[in-house]
Amino acid sequence: MSQDLSRYHRQMLIPGFGEEGQRKLLGSKVLVLGCGALGTVIANLLARAGVGHLVVVDRDFIELTNLQRQVLFDEQDVTDAIPKAEAARRKIAKINSQVKVTAVIDDVNHTNIEKLAEGCDAIVDGVDNFETRFLANDCAVKHGLPYIYGGAVGTVGMTYAILPHTERGDSPWEQAGAATPCLRCIFEQAPPPGMNPTCETAGVLSPAVSIISSYEVNETLKVLTGNWSAVCPTMLSIDIWANTVKQFKVKRAYDVGECACCKKRNFEHLAGLLSSATTTLCGRNAVQLSQPKDAAAPKLDFEELAQRLRAHGPVTASKFMLRADIKDNGAEYELTLFTDGRAIVKGTKEPNTAKSIYAKYVGA
Amino acid sequence: MIYFDNAATSFPKAPGVSEAMAAFLARDAANPGRAGHRMAVAAERMLDDTRLKLTRLFDGADPSRMVFALNGTDALNMAIKGVLGPLAGKGAHAITTVLEHNSVSRPLQAMADAGAIELTRVTCDDQGFVDPDDIHKAITPSTKLIVITHASNVLGTIQDAVAIGQVAREHGVLFCLDAAQTAGVVPVSIEQMNIDLLAFPGHKSLLGPTGTGGLYVGEHCPAPGNGDTNHLRPWREGGTGGDSSTPTQPAIYPYYLEGGTPNTVGIAGLAAGVDYLSKQDTTQLLAHEQALVAKIIERLASDDRFTVYGSLDATKHVGTVSINIQGYEASDAGSILDDSFEIAVRPGLHCAPYAHRRLGTFPSGTVRISPGPFNTEGELDTLLDALDQIAG
Repeated sequence: MSQDLSRYHRQMLIPGFGEEGQRKLLGSKVLVLGCGALGTVIANLLARAGVGHLVVVDRDFIELTNLQRQVLFDEQDVTDAIPKAEAARRKIAKINSQVKVTAVIDDVNHTNIEKLAEGCDAIVDGVDNFETRFLANDCAVKHGLPYIYGGAVGTVGMTYAILPHTERGDSPWEQAGAATPCLRCIFEQAPPPGMNPTCETAGVLSPAVSIISSYEVNETLKVLTGNWSAVCPTMLSIDIWANTVKQFKVKRAYDVGECACCKKRNFEHLAGLLSSATTTLCGRNAVQLSQPKDAAAPKLDFEELAQRLRAHGPVTASKFMLRADIKDNGAEYELTLFTDGRAIVKGTKEPNTAKSIYAKYVGA
Repeated sequence: MIYFDNAATSFPKAPGVSEAMAAFLARDAANPGRAGHRMAVAAERMLDDTRLKLTRLFDGADPSRMVFALNGTDALNMAIKGVLGPLAGKGAHAITTVLEHNSVSRPLQAMADAGAIELTRVTCDDQGFVDPDDIHKAITPSTKLIVITHASNVLGTIQDAVAIGQVAREHGVLFCLDAAQTAGVVPVSIEQMNIDLLAFPGHKSLLGPTGTGGLYVGEHCPAPGNGDTNHLRPWREGGTGGDSSTPTQPAIYPYYLEGGTPNTVGIAGLAAGVDYLSKQDTTQLLAHEQALVAKIIERLASDDRFTVYGSLDATKHVGTVSINIQGYEASDAGSILDDSFEIAVRPGLHCAPYAHRRLGTFPSGTVRISPGPFNTEGELDTLLDALDQIAG
C-alpha cells in the first residue's frame, strides 16, 4: 500500500533522505522510553517526521509543572489528570494520522523492556533516571538495537547515539564501520541514588531539554534511514547558560575497555540483578524502595539532599534518616530516606508512584 | 548481620538441616507412594519417620493423623475450612481471639462475611492474655470450633491452652491450636491440652526450612465413611499416590488431606530440625529465649524513650517482644536498625491487625524483636546499644 508522502516533502529534499528514506521511516517502529520533557519532544518530532509506529511508555500522570517544557500537553490534560502516554497518543493522532502510537502506562523495568522493544528499530531515551538508562542499554546491546541516549537537568544536557557491537558483528552499522561504545563502556555503573540533581530539585530550563531531545531525534532519523556514517560518533554535552558545547571522543572506551555489557555480553541490568526493589509495607499506606547492595557505594549525604529538598517542604535529618514532606501533583507524600539509599514513600500503596517520587526527588 | 526476626522464620536453621535436604535431593528425591520402586519407598519411609517424630514431639496418639502442610497458614486453612467450610453445613459458630494472625482471622472473617458462619472474636487483657472464662462464655449450642494462637506473634504472650482445651472438650467443641510461635520451643501436648487440631509451621522453632508444616488431626475429627457428620472436609484434593480408584479423596489419614506431591526435600530438612531439638534440653532453649526477652524488658520498660507492649513477665513469653521508640514509626526504626546497625527485626503489623487495634498501635504497628536459640547475649547488647543510640 502506498501512502501519500506529500506532507513530508520538505524533509525528503534533504540529501540522503529522499522518498526512500521516508518510506523507511514509515515502516519503522521506535520505542520512546519516557514521555516527559524529552519524551514529548521526541514523540512529537518523530510523529511529524512520519515514523510509522511509536511505542510510548511512561508511568506518570500530567501535572501543572510539566507544561513549562513538555510540549505535547496542555492545561486541559492537567485538569483531566490523564496519563502522559495516553495524552501523547491522543495528541499525535491529531498531528499525524499516518502514525500509529501504542501508549503504555507502566514503569519500564527488567521484566518488561524486552517485550516493549520487540520489533522496534531503535530505542530513544526520554527517562529521568540512570537505572532505566542502563537497562535500555542492556536491552539495546543484547538485541542489536540502536539506542539514543539523552538527558537534561538544570541548564546542562548530554546526548549520544549508541550503535552497539552485536554478538555476530553483522549489523548494518557494524558493516558500515559505524558501531559505537555502549553506555557501560563509558560509565561502568549507574551513579548511586541521591548523587545527581533532578529536574525537581535542581530545576530545568526548557531549551536545554528541547535541544537535547531534538538532537536525539536527529540521530534517530539518521539511524532509521540507514545513514550510518552520518551518525555522530561523539558524546555531546552542552551548557546553555555557560555557553559551552563539548564533544567527547568515546571510541577508545570500547577499544581499550573490558565492557561487561557489550564485550562480555553480561546483561546484569536486564537480569534484574542491579534493579531496586519495592515492598508495599504491611498495614501502611507506604512503599519501601530498596537499592541493590553495593558495599562500595557512598552513604547518602543528608545535608546536601536536605538542602535540595527544602524547596518542596519541611525537611528534617538526623544521623540515621532524612524525612521530607513533598507535594507532588496535588498529592502529599512523606519521603523517609536512610543512609544506604533505601526509602519509604508514605502516601501511596503503588510501587510505580513511589518509584516515580524517588526518581524525581532523590534521583536514581 | 544480627538476626532477631525468629518469629517470622528461624535463622540460622538447626545444624544438619541443609545437609539433610541436599542429601535427600541428590540421592532419594523420588515421589513417595506413587510407585513401588525402592526410591519411592525410601521417600515414603522418610515421610513416615518424620510423621512419627512429630507425633511423639507433640504427644499425639496416631502418626497417621500427622498431615504434612506447606506452612502454618496451609495447616490452619485445612483445619478451619475443613471443619467450617461450605460442605460442613451452614449456621456453625466459631470462636477466636483478637490475638490471631491473619492465617486464622482471614479465613474465619471471609466465611463470616459470606454468611457461612457466625464468628465471635474474644478480646485479651492489657497484658496480652485471653481469659479462658471469656471463651467459655462465648460458647453457644451451635459453636463448632475454637481457634486460638498458643502464643501471640506480636506480643509473644503464651496463652493458657490447657484451660481453653478443657473448656472446649467439656462442651464438645473442636479445639484448634495455632502453634506457629510455640511448636518446638514451648511444650505442646495434644493429649493434655485436649487439642483436636494442631497446626504448626516447620520453619520457625522447629528449625526446619520454609515450605513445611503440619496439621495433627485428633480422633474427635474422624475420617468420613463411618456416618459421623463431624468429619473434616479435605480443603485440597488430588493425587495421593495410594488408592487412586476412589472418585474422591480416599478416607484414610493422612492421605485424605494430603492431595498433591508433598515437599519431601523440605520435610527431610524438617526431620533434621526435629532430630536436633530431640537432642537438646528444650526447657533450656525456652529459658535462653526468655532470658534474652527479660533483658530487653528490663532495659526498655523503665526507659521513657521506649514503650514495651503486653506482659512484662518474660516467663510468660516465647522469644518475642514488641516495642516502639519514641519519635519513630516502627518501620523507620526497623529500617535504621537494618541500614545503620545491620540488625534484622520486624516492624509493622505482623499480620495481626486485631491485636494492634487492641493495643492501640494500628496502623503503624510495633518493632518486634524475636531472639531465637542461637542468639547470644553479646548480640542482644549490640541491639540494646543501637536502640539507645536511635532513641537519642
